[in-house]
Amino acid sequence: MGKIDTNWEPRIIAFLCNWCSYAGADLAGVGRMQYPANVRVIRVPCSGRISPFFILSSLQNGADGVLVSGCHPGDCHYLTGNYSARRKFALLKSQLEHIGIEKERVQFTWVSASEGGKFAEVINRVTETVRALGPAKKLVKKCL
Amino acid sequence: MDYKSIRKSEITEFLDNLIKEYVIFAPIEKDDIVLYGRIKSGNEVILDYSNSVNSPKEAVIPQLETLISCKTDKDITCVKEHLDEQEQFLLFGARPCDARSLLFLDKVFSDEECKDIYYVNRRNAVTIISLGCTLPQETCFCTTTGGGPFSTDGSDLLFIDIGDSYIVQIITEKGAELVEKLDLRKTQDDELTGMDMLIKKSRASIEPEIELDKLKDKLDRSFEGSAWEILAEKCLSCGICTYLCPACHCFDIVDEERKCEVERIRLWDSCQFPHFTMQTSGFNPRPTYKERYRQRIMHKFSYCIDNYGMVGCVGCGRCVTQCPVNLDIRQVLTSFYGK
Amino acid sequence: MTDVSSKIREEARKLLKNGEVDVIIGFEKGSIPFSATPCFVRNEADTDKLIWNEYCGNNLARYLSEVRGKAGIIAKGCDTRAIVELIKEKQIQRERISIIGVPCEGMLDRKRIMMSCQRKDKTGIEDQDGQLLTRGDSLNTAVKKDEFLYPACHVCTNRNPVMYDVLIGNTIEERKTDDFADVTEFDEKHSEERWAYITDEIGRCIRCYACRNACPLCYCKECFVDSTQPQWVGKTTEQSDTLSFHIMRSIHLAGRCIECGACERACPVLVDIRILNRKMSADVKNLFGYKTGLDIDQPAPLSIFKPDDSEEFMLDV
Repeated sequence: MGKIDTNWEPRIIAFLCNWCSYAGADLAGVGRMQYPANVRVIRVPCSGRISPFFILSSLQNGADGVLVSGCHPGDCHYLTGNYSARRKFALLKSQLEHIGIEKERVQFTWVSASEGGKFAEVINRVTETVRALGPAKKLVKKCL
Repeated sequence: MDYKSIRKSEITEFLDNLIKEYVIFAPIEKDDIVLYGRIKSGNEVILDYSNSVNSPKEAVIPQLETLISCKTDKDITCVKEHLDEQEQFLLFGARPCDARSLLFLDKVFSDEECKDIYYVNRRNAVTIISLGCTLPQETCFCTTTGGGPFSTDGSDLLFIDIGDSYIVQIITEKGAELVEKLDLRKTQDDELTGMDMLIKKSRASIEPEIELDKLKDKLDRSFEGSAWEILAEKCLSCGICTYLCPACHCFDIVDEERKCEVERIRLWDSCQFPHFTMQTSGFNPRPTYKERYRQRIMHKFSYCIDNYGMVGCVGCGRCVTQCPVNLDIRQVLTSFYGK
Repeated sequence: MTDVSSKIREEARKLLKNGEVDVIIGFEKGSIPFSATPCFVRNEADTDKLIWNEYCGNNLARYLSEVRGKAGIIAKGCDTRAIVELIKEKQIQRERISIIGVPCEGMLDRKRIMMSCQRKDKTGIEDQDGQLLTRGDSLNTAVKKDEFLYPACHVCTNRNPVMYDVLIGNTIEERKTDDFADVTEFDEKHSEERWAYITDEIGRCIRCYACRNACPLCYCKECFVDSTQPQWVGKTTEQSDTLSFHIMRSIHLAGRCIECGACERACPVLVDIRILNRKMSADVKNLFGYKTGLDIDQPAPLSIFKPDDSEEFMLDV
């Protein structure tokens, strides 16, 4: 074991859908709810837009965790984007765990535009789990 | 020509002595396959092998190397050239065909007018101890391309298996210097006679199949012909033949961000990949299997003769053994010369 | 086996003679021991080249989306499953291909046969009455051919063609249905052990893309690894890049991989990560109730959804 870096803070990439989760994050901000500043939000049109490549690239390029959040089933702005996404994510998450990557590094959830509180809680939970896991080492690109 | 001998039982000790001074690459068996790689001790080496899956070219043109890297720290950008002093290293137990391939690579990377410093740096540090082939494989065709199972081209020392011992043929001064450092016994006359017999027998088992200078002419005239389409029809356009080939040397250079550094990396590329010739405009002059496969054959057996005076193939047979669809280069060449 | 070869030739001749196809994709004798090689036959006279033996391991469906004209294809169970998927994905049209189906008892691994005698104390290997006889100075051993079956053939559940126009010979008995025991066994290992296995295997990968190019379902005009804008995966052989390539390939083939094992067969350095594809197949079956390459009318699992698909994997807040 190397030296423990006490200043280390997890870096988490959050892909949020424009119509629900991003608005949920906004509401959390407007409502002045506290949540850790470890997430970097990337706004996407729909959770269906998120390719597994995005998630893998994040992990390759230094993210310690990835969160994907979309509209609740049935609430998708494009009707079925989140349903299709759900199938893809189920497979991706299962495969990552299968090859031995900590399953908690990649998380999926639904947050609606009215769920500011839930958004803050999700970020809390994800940050704490990733913090407990420590820095991601397995998929990250190394210097040659 | 000078000869020395060494008992097979002494090889491990011989290597263990050398390992103190040199980095040694040799054939090792891992997960059932024989690969050329760096060894840590003499007993890892296997010498009763046909040929390794990968070629020892990796020691002089690694699949992946950082040329320069660039880092910004507190507003100061520093660029670092990755050209460190090279440790002396040995290629031990390389087959004569693979040793010959280095002479070809020299023409590409170490020409009088144009030298690749990264290559030259490594090439100067290498001493090659090759191992003659007493039992050539069905896929070997080194004699066709100008070599032979006991060819000394490119080697500094050549080991010849004569049963209980190896005869060590001293070829270059570099080789002689190495032998001087070691305590090898004098070769007996009867050992030399036995060796001559072995060499004759082995060579006879791989008779040359094609006359190369005549082939070139035929190939040059075939460029526009319809033959290529049929020949390349089953090709998968994968990179196996080029990546395992000891003479293929095409590379790509990419800039990649890795952690907080930008690295300029040189890595192998293959003329069999569609993107190899893809132009920025989107136009690809070699869009199909036909053009790409033709390029591989023409490059080796025509353009290389024009440019370097030798063919770009040493007849190791790796592409024949490993091709997933058994697209046999020997058959392709014969189909042209046979006409 | 020779009987099968002659029947194949007869059918091929018929198809070419009647003008039903322009080309027959089959196998001819290979140039090296224990091999057969894909061949394209365009006239009746050449049909005599066609053979069938236990070395016809290549998945010929791979050529269907590229070949010009109407094609006849000699197809094993796995080849026909690939054809089903290719038709479903609109890469080929059913009416433009004629399938000569051949039941298959498993194909033999040429490379492992050759490797078993590559060390010099064994001087050769011969095929004698269904056994492989290794000759050598120190040993003469007979090995049952079955020991050289490709790994994918061991878990094959479709030894008979699932779709054909003509069937050569009689159907053979299928093994029991696939219970994905290998996947369960792998998943029961500790995560670090799984990680060690996968990284050790892909550590040998030389990025020659033979796995991708031999795959009948990898027909993309531009593969994600070749894409430069955006560049999804680095081109190096560093672990992160190589692993990302293989993970993404398995995800891309989820619900499409027909488990023929062509990828593993093509690999020059014997990287065996079929377990990634097997895992996806197991998931697709368990989560979405789908098995690839059996039914043209069943939609691909990732093109549809059910409102009540499992959400077990999701964060529970």
